[in-house]
Amino acid sequence: MTSHRMQHVVPGLAIFVLASIVTWLSFTQQPAEAFLFPRVISVVFIILAAWNLIRAVTGMSKVGRGIPVDTLKNLAPGLAVMLLYVFFGAKHLGFYLGSTLAFFAIYSFYDPASWSSVKDWIKRIFVTAAFMAVIYALFAVVLQVHTPRGILF
Amino acid sequence: MKKLFKTAVLATAALAVAATGSFAADYPDRPIGVAVSYGAGGATDFQARIVTMVAGNEDILGQPIYILNKPGAGGRKGWNWFATEAPADGYTMSAYNIPHFIAQSIKGGVKYSADSFEPIANWGSDPAVVVVGKDSKFNSMQDLIDYAKANPGKTTTSGAGLFVGHHIAALQIEKACECKLAYVPTKGGGAAAMKAVIGGEVLAGINNLSDAFRAREAGNVKILGVADLERNDFIKDVPTLKESGLDVDNSSVNFRGLMVPKGTPPEIIEKLAKQVPMMFAHARVAKRMKAGGSPMKIMNREEVQKMWADREEVLKELLKGL
Amino acid sequence: MEFLNYFGGVFEPWAFMLLLGGTIGGLILGATPGLSPTMAVALLIPFTFHMSATHGLVLLGAAYTSTVAGGAVSAILLKIPGAPANIATALDGNEMAKRGEGARALHMSFLSSGVGGVIGILLLIFLTPVLAQWVLKIQTPHVFWIAILGVTVIGSLDSKSFVKGLLSGCIGLWLSTIGYDEIQGTERFIFADALSGGIGIIPALIGLFAIPQVLDMMAKGRVDALVEALEVPKQKLTASLRELTRYVRALSIGTVVGSIIGLIPGVGGQIAGLVAYDQSRKLSPQREKFGTGHPEGVVAAESANNAMVGPSLVPLLTLSIPGSPTAAVLLGGLLIKEIFPGSDIFDNHPEVVWTFINSMLVGQVLMVIFGIMIAGWAARIARAPAPIMAAGVLVLAVFGSYSVGQSVGDVHIMLALGIGMFILEKFGFSAAPLVLGLILGPIAGDNFTQGMTLAAAQDGPWVYFFTGTLNIFLISLVIASIAYSFWNNMLAGGKTPAAEPAGREAK
Repeated sequence: MTSHRMQHVVPGLAIFVLASIVTWLSFTQQPAEAFLFPRVISVVFIILAAWNLIRAVTGMSKVGRGIPVDTLKNLAPGLAVMLLYVFFGAKHLGFYLGSTLAFFAIYSFYDPASWSSVKDWIKRIFVTAAFMAVIYALFAVVLQVHTPRGILF
Repeated sequence: MKKLFKTAVLATAALAVAATGSFAADYPDRPIGVAVSYGAGGATDFQARIVTMVAGNEDILGQPIYILNKPGAGGRKGWNWFATEAPADGYTMSAYNIPHFIAQSIKGGVKYSADSFEPIANWGSDPAVVVVGKDSKFNSMQDLIDYAKANPGKTTTSGAGLFVGHHIAALQIEKACECKLAYVPTKGGGAAAMKAVIGGEVLAGINNLSDAFRAREAGNVKILGVADLERNDFIKDVPTLKESGLDVDNSSVNFRGLMVPKGTPPEIIEKLAKQVPMMFAHARVAKRMKAGGSPMKIMNREEVQKMWADREEVLKELLKGL
Repeated sequence: MEFLNYFGGVFEPWAFMLLLGGTIGGLILGATPGLSPTMAVALLIPFTFHMSATHGLVLLGAAYTSTVAGGAVSAILLKIPGAPANIATALDGNEMAKRGEGARALHMSFLSSGVGGVIGILLLIFLTPVLAQWVLKIQTPHVFWIAILGVTVIGSLDSKSFVKGLLSGCIGLWLSTIGYDEIQGTERFIFADALSGGIGIIPALIGLFAIPQVLDMMAKGRVDALVEALEVPKQKLTASLRELTRYVRALSIGTVVGSIIGLIPGVGGQIAGLVAYDQSRKLSPQREKFGTGHPEGVVAAESANNAMVGPSLVPLLTLSIPGSPTAAVLLGGLLIKEIFPGSDIFDNHPEVVWTFINSMLVGQVLMVIFGIMIAGWAARIARAPAPIMAAGVLVLAVFGSYSVGQSVGDVHIMLALGIGMFILEKFGFSAAPLVLGLILGPIAGDNFTQGMTLAAAQDGPWVYFFTGTLNIFLISLVIASIAYSFWNNMLAGGKTPAAEPAGREAK
């Protein structure tokens, strides 16, 4: 029970800290006219955040079961690819190359089929190529969106 | 797998070499983007789409121009992006609106000033006009000013935002008549400001000539005055503010044109400065602009540079102490 | 009855081809997670340069209608709404799909879209002059109160916990104030450069809904990845039609709310679905079923978001004021053909305007037919194995959020919000109220500031915001809505949360 309670206290506290910062900023920044509306919001925000924190501390928060360790373990590689892709790959490798690599990496990692069978790898390469071809046709050809090129395209 | 990887690396390297091989000599070799700091369908967006539609002709640029909309905060969002993020390689241009971006940079809080950009050419000038609803009791600028003098701070006047052409015109009118209006910057640009006038939410409004012309054609508003030096061809019957006895010049006229970020190679700027005015002068462009009620004014790079410098001086004076 | 004379124009071969192409293309674009209607329509503009005015408008109109309806497909099958208009559809639609009733939900959604859409366009045909007068009556303080009415919906929307629902909404409201203040032009809460342009609704919507889905799929790890694949069994269309007749209440609430809200410039499409959903829940005898996969929820939301299409064109066609970003794009399309909306368009170009409106009417019918066909197809795609789904949705989310403003910063915001939302969801917060806050924040905030300026020049804020029939009517709706939420919450307070099976990962 205690660990479950902690699960709710931590995010509750984080949101309360955020609300406090927002409130503080809203009431100290100038010009006042531009911050009038944020002030109204921040007051409601901090009251609700406090209420939520109290519920968490007293163990009244029961909705949501937090993030188990297993989930985190499963998530870590995919999340790493995701972050690399969005914050580095898409811009510096080019949108299409970055996307191809990200798609291939995530698909291959989470695919339950064997990692040692050549046939499965061919299938993965084929699916990736087909998917990216559709994306290219849709965005570059039909919609004519101009994406960052990076080193390739 | 290993082999595949090797092939991929080789192919990448080959393409990278090929990509950097092209230089200013054969510029442009791919489509050029024009960032518009206002939403799709707005006056700037609409005109930018028309004036760039012949870019693909071989004797103009030989490559098409596409429009990127980056609306927000009266244009600040788009120009901030353009000043800080846009690549200075000639493949990203932006539409400018004078006096908007100069006034905003004087006022502060943005990441650009007139020095952040290199003008290419100007395509249009859209004067600010004073409009009132069709059933308004005001029939001339004099009526409006008389009311404003009798009721200081009660003459609600809508406009597209703070420190845009409409606001500058309102400030100039206040200065000239020595009276106080209540300028109401509306969210949602000129269209929302116009709705406030038509719906009788405000007593008067300052808006773009092109939009006001359309609204008058639709029978929704009366136009009382033009904030320009001369009467405008689209609305010959409307007097200038000067004629109505208000000392207001053309500082609020909304000039629109194209620019590139500072740091763009000089050869590219030169090429654009030569070709872009030809694009604006194209007969098809002129026809479409006229049809849309959008006054054109083509100026080359030198003229625009001078115009920017003049405007900056005038605006600094006007915005002093605000 | 003038419009009847112009039906011929719709069935002229070229126009009809464009209508068909626009409808099918729009449905596919709308159904693709990460693509939004405004974007689809804006990207189509260059194509219309080379067409006659009538043809260009037919194409844009068809795309406008069908992208909104198409957005329901990804909302239902993947819980990734294509546009703000489809958020409410996702709430019950996705629960139905998880139960194996995806086909039923899709049928309900397209049929009710069609009904709402046709009625909305008939309103446009017959009542335009009257509606135009209404549009002008809705002024700054009224829009402010309508936004507040929307805020009161937040607490009860898709949330197991009242406090957390409100708090999610509050976070959304705060996020909406980031960036430049629209009116004053002052910077607010800009902690990182990417934020200086504020948080766009579309990147936020993609991030908040799509990324948690991707992360959830990954969280299951390498094992049993195929087990979760969605079953979408076939459903008889006649059965769906018969079923729809049982939801006349939801259908009429959706249509009425959608038509009225659609009229309001700048608010329309984004909140019509959510408000209709909330109203039909409050008035339904089976209100506790909402949120658990109840078809009425889908019907209300979808009839509202298509009913709004017709009325939202009223301010454009009569006053030359575009009521939504999509309408603004349509205005550009008209002007470039030398046609000025207003009395000019009805007097001098009746063939253009009536062919356009008629084509949207026919388009609604085509949209239902092809929508149902495409839905079956989409359902098969939605059965792709989870790893392909996860990777594919991620790539689409990146492309979709980039394409809106062609800004890499938007992609960063999208992912950051998505990961944040994934964590928050695990602690009982939900995305729908947060997005609602994000949408309503600027509407409420800017109309508040603008109203204060206007009030200062008139009789002061009290008179300005609290007098007048329409103000008082809206305020009483707000009070009723708050009172209802509290009463309901207090009543249910003791029993709901205790045995909560908590979210998706419970399976």
